Amino acid sequence: MVTPLELVKKKRAEAINRIISKGYLSSKRVYVGMATCEIAAGSKEVMEVFVNAIKKGLAGVYLSQKGCAGRCNLEPTVEVVEEGKIPIKYGKVTPQKAQGIIERHLKNGEVIKEWMIE
Amino acid sequence: MLNIKINDKSYQVEAGQTIMQAADKLGFHIPRLCYHPRLSIEGACRVCIVEVKGMRNYIASCAYPVSEGMEIFTNTAEIRQARRDIVELILNNHPQDCHTCERDGICELQRLTYAMGIRHRHFEGERKHYEKDISSTSVVRDPDKCILCGRCVRICSEVQKVNALGHAWRGFKTVVMPAYNMPFNESVCTTCGQCINVCPTAAFVEKSCAQDLFKKLDNSSLVKVAQIAPSVRAAIAEAFGFEAGSHCLEKELTAALRKLGFDYVFDTQFSADLTIMEEASEFLERLKGKGKLPMITSCSSAWMKCLEQFYQDLIPYVSTCKSPMSMLGSLVKTYFAQKIKRDPKEIVSVAIMCCTAKKYEAARKELYVDGAPAVDMVVTTREISWMIKSAGIDLMHIKPEEFDKPLGLSSGAGTIFGVTGGVMEAAIRTAYELYTGEPLIDIEINDLRGFKGIKEGKLEIDGKEIRVAVAHGLGNANELLEMVRKDKERFHFIEIMGCPGGCIGGGGQPYAGLNSLPLDESCLAARADALYNLDRHKTIRRSHNNPDIRRIYKEFLGKPLGEMSHKLLHTHYKPKEPKGIVPTEIQAR
Amino acid sequence: MSRYVITLCHGSSCMQKDSQKLRQAFEKELEKKKLSEKVKINLSGCLGMCSHGPIVIINPRYTVYGKVTENDIPELIESHIIKKEPFKRLAIEEDHLFNRFYRVFGDVKFFGKQMRIVLRNCGIIDPENMDDYLSVRGYEALAKVLTKMNPEDVIREVKKSGLRGRGGAGFPTGIKWELTAKENSDEKFVICNADEGDPGAFMDRSTIEGDPHTVIEGMIIGGYAVSSNKGVVYIRAEYPLAIKRLEKAIADARKEGFLGEHILGSNFSFDIEIRLGAGAFVCGEETALIHSIEGSRGMPRPRPPYPSVSGLFGKPTLINNVETWANIPVIILDGADWFSSIGIAKSKGTKVFALAGKIANTGLVEVPMGTTLRQIIYDIGGGIPNNKKFKAIQTGGPSGGCLPEKFLDTKIDYESLVAAGSIMGSGGMIVMDEDSCMVNIAKFFLEFTQNESCGKCTPCREGTKRMLEILTRITKGEGVDEDIVNLKRLGTMIKKASLCGLGQSAPNPVLSTINNFMEEYVEHIKEKKCRAGCCQGLFAYAITEKCIGCGVCKKVCPVAAITGEPRSKHKIDKNKCIKCGLCVKACKFEAIKKA
Repeated sequence: MVTPLELVKKKRAEAINRIISKGYLSSKRVYVGMATCEIAAGSKEVMEVFVNAIKKGLAGVYLSQKGCAGRCNLEPTVEVVEEGKIPIKYGKVTPQKAQGIIERHLKNGEVIKEWMIE
Repeated sequence: MLNIKINDKSYQVEAGQTIMQAADKLGFHIPRLCYHPRLSIEGACRVCIVEVKGMRNYIASCAYPVSEGMEIFTNTAEIRQARRDIVELILNNHPQDCHTCERDGICELQRLTYAMGIRHRHFEGERKHYEKDISSTSVVRDPDKCILCGRCVRICSEVQKVNALGHAWRGFKTVVMPAYNMPFNESVCTTCGQCINVCPTAAFVEKSCAQDLFKKLDNSSLVKVAQIAPSVRAAIAEAFGFEAGSHCLEKELTAALRKLGFDYVFDTQFSADLTIMEEASEFLERLKGKGKLPMITSCSSAWMKCLEQFYQDLIPYVSTCKSPMSMLGSLVKTYFAQKIKRDPKEIVSVAIMCCTAKKYEAARKELYVDGAPAVDMVVTTREISWMIKSAGIDLMHIKPEEFDKPLGLSSGAGTIFGVTGGVMEAAIRTAYELYTGEPLIDIEINDLRGFKGIKEGKLEIDGKEIRVAVAHGLGNANELLEMVRKDKERFHFIEIMGCPGGCIGGGGQPYAGLNSLPLDESCLAARADALYNLDRHKTIRRSHNNPDIRRIYKEFLGKPLGEMSHKLLHTHYKPKEPKGIVPTEIQAR
Repeated sequence: MSRYVITLCHGSSCMQKDSQKLRQAFEKELEKKKLSEKVKINLSGCLGMCSHGPIVIINPRYTVYGKVTENDIPELIESHIIKKEPFKRLAIEEDHLFNRFYRVFGDVKFFGKQMRIVLRNCGIIDPENMDDYLSVRGYEALAKVLTKMNPEDVIREVKKSGLRGRGGAGFPTGIKWELTAKENSDEKFVICNADEGDPGAFMDRSTIEGDPHTVIEGMIIGGYAVSSNKGVVYIRAEYPLAIKRLEKAIADARKEGFLGEHILGSNFSFDIEIRLGAGAFVCGEETALIHSIEGSRGMPRPRPPYPSVSGLFGKPTLINNVETWANIPVIILDGADWFSSIGIAKSKGTKVFALAGKIANTGLVEVPMGTTLRQIIYDIGGGIPNNKKFKAIQTGGPSGGCLPEKFLDTKIDYESLVAAGSIMGSGGMIVMDEDSCMVNIAKFFLEFTQNESCGKCTPCREGTKRMLEILTRITKGEGVDEDIVNLKRLGTMIKKASLCGLGQSAPNPVLSTINNFMEEYVEHIKEKKCRAGCCQGLFAYAITEKCIGCGVCKKVCPVAAITGEPRSKHKIDKNKCIKCGLCVKACKFEAIKKA
């Protein structure tokens, strides 16, 4: 008989496979904070910018929402994670800044220091 | 047994009781307000707080159980000040109109204030204000006087299961009201008046018509006729400061009413006998297959309103007999009016009742006789005792007088109507004889006496087993009627009284005395004994043996269930959709 | 721009083991290798790996190194940073659930001194995607419990962890579970109290919005431990997104067999339903909450009986708050021993606070028990903005006490905060600077609790109203000498005599400000002066010599209280002035002052 523990490990393996199949191993992963507080600060509009960019052909990016990490006065926050590099965290992101992150960071690999959370 | 200390003295007490219960038995009387022995523990007023060694906060002694080694302090300087301050806080949000208040001198808050020694105020401020609700025929709600002890809410939901009252708003604005703040007369309130009985202040009082009655009594062109309910005589002495059951003032009250200006004083016990004649006959008809069984009694007006709202499916099971009050009222406006050759319009028919719901009953259109009320006014035991005091009549030293004829003579069966189980006992005394032709020998039916919530009994009539049941208080009634709903065969005859203890515990009875709480079982038992004693000392103890009953059938009514009876003594009840919130168990159906 | 972050554990145990010296050694070595620009050094709070200390974590790659000495540093830097290979000799394998958070946020100073156990997945995973939760060892704790542990084992583990209720009162969670498990009943309930009512507190909302499955997993484990099959989450209706995510998570968990009949093929069945609260503050009190779920008015009742004996519908009920539940999977997977190594003697693990008020970094802060208030305000919160002076910190939401500077080194744990005159509460933390009037603050919080009193017991219903009336008088400049005595007398009585926690804690803001800021009360009453300039009744505006008579103030005044000829000094009629402050904002010459 399969024990619950074995069952959960199997489920986890399947879950990880599903995540990977959605492009998790892409070179850049983008997380947008989407808790009530972040949405109130405008993260929905920021999310839309990324969604639209991917629709229009932005490749190699894995986009996901996330909860609130607790950095309230800097919301909305966006993280760009690349394997082997320190994850970059942007704060007070507006749709304009989001567009900037796409153009400068995601497409050109430039880390935009002035928008970063220290 | 547990070892505890109270105020540094060691005691042994039984486990499983609260600090207050244990202290009571040891001769401590921790001051209290929201506590009531019949009701669940509210823990709201915080007057009964005590200190317990090792506890950071004060403990409400009504709610906290005793435990081994507990060291309790009931009277330290600190606790005295805290208790005093709590009572002052209650007082500071209460109208300062004691002298013009109906409960002046018999108010639990006044007594407590005195005991706490509040000689001046430290924390005065804003007082809440809400409009009085005078919409009900029976009960007046004055939120300004409410101290939010929650007794009314608890008795209405726990004892009566009517749930007409609840807390609304919050904090300082909290108020007790019917659902959706509906006027009382539109709510599910059955007008039983138990909220009045348990209220420590005058937040609930009856809708008084005592002043109106004084005016009518002054009018010499009117014929003033009174009737007195059985349990009024058993309790009225309490309003004059006597212990419950110590005096049964039947003839004294009759005399006092004549001194007040009544021309005729009749006895509701007479019409109780009449009710038995009709009801017992109706039961025997149903037993023979003409009508539904079990038959359920219909004397209690609070129960009738409850029936129409919550037990509409059981309406066909309820006896069509009017209550004794309405029967007597009907006869006053017809039979008696003819006898004295007066226009019924010139007669004022007044009922002295232990009951607030009777005020509601008197206003019912379906009980009118020839387009006018059978009973024009209902005053409670409390109102009449006030009138007697106000008019300067010495009830305790008055020369006793007899009731008037022809509606004043009663049997012992009519007397015990006032106690739970009494109607059933009286009906059995008569039904047995009517059916078998032989008198019932053992007429005191102990199974039906006492204050058990639901009492069951069995008797054999002509080899047939008759199963009867009695419930008092609408909560117990609810339980019994649920049994009936599940199994219609289980009982043949059921008595239901709306108030705990029956009419003796009615919503119009005197407020509790100095040393007792309202609805105290010992108080109810004393009132019951007073009525049982009256019965025991009567020579006529069966309704059908009452010679005046025989006469009225001969002269006027014909026979039980006859045409005239049908017109004057019977009625029908119709479903009434309650507004507001219906108790959930009923809603589910 | 640094490309590497070295995190040094700054917990007290690692500190003893010379982490201080390590920092200097690292700095020296980096300078020597000309890497200072590329590598940033960060300090963290205790990471709960004290037996391996001192601990060093290097990101990216998130490698944890233990027992690091000064002599190891050159090799360590050479290997990890220059050759980009983990330094195997010191690397330790210990993988805790909270680690992931630091892989992403390890370099942000704000998170440095924190310790993320409850919020370990918040901001890391997609809360609406169950796969994300599964990938971070989600539901493994549940599976472990169902595979290897019987209910007694689970309770023993929770007891051993030293976890105490995070709702505020701090009752030992394991004992609560044991009491509920002990009861014999055909039915038992498990409740999650998500009725977060403190103004400004949002820990529970964030936890549910960021990681709903954690709470669900904790509840299922609780159900297993006390043999209950029915869970209820009582959450306030004002949290629509949290409700939506919780609903989705429950549905997903059912689909995957984590909820429902025969969970993961075991004999244990459990399901959860959501009940919405209408937003009464008092419904956070457990007996009021239970009444509310039952469909009655949310009013507390006296205890005993405690819910563990007679709770929801009269059945034994285990009730814990969101934060408590979220700790459970961690305790099961990482072990009670590890968990109890975090925190201090009587308070174990972490506590989440919602940091707000006059502070540079507002936000959610999760710190190990025993962290000081000073560390939170200055190391994490970044201090007071605009060069203002710190005045007080209030912990525990609207019914907590206000603590002045001298209490800043108070360690955060249940007992120390009570000793200082405040409470842990559910975790509100509000910082006040010199612009805050303490009398006004006390009045503000009392207004809230007074308004939220359920109205049942006399001290809370009537007493807080009278206290509020006195405070209002004082702030209007109508205070009298006996006011302070009366406030103390009422406050002390209300604390000790009230029926539930709301009343028992409502006077805290007043009593603590009287204790700690008596001089402000005295000023208000005797000198009719409010030093912070908050209390409108206690100051007047006046125009100083700086006025050039431009007339702007005259134009903006809504009640025409300002008069004056052009180019000459204007005047304010004190009787007309309503102290709206518009003139002060309008004046370009700072010529209008409070007096």
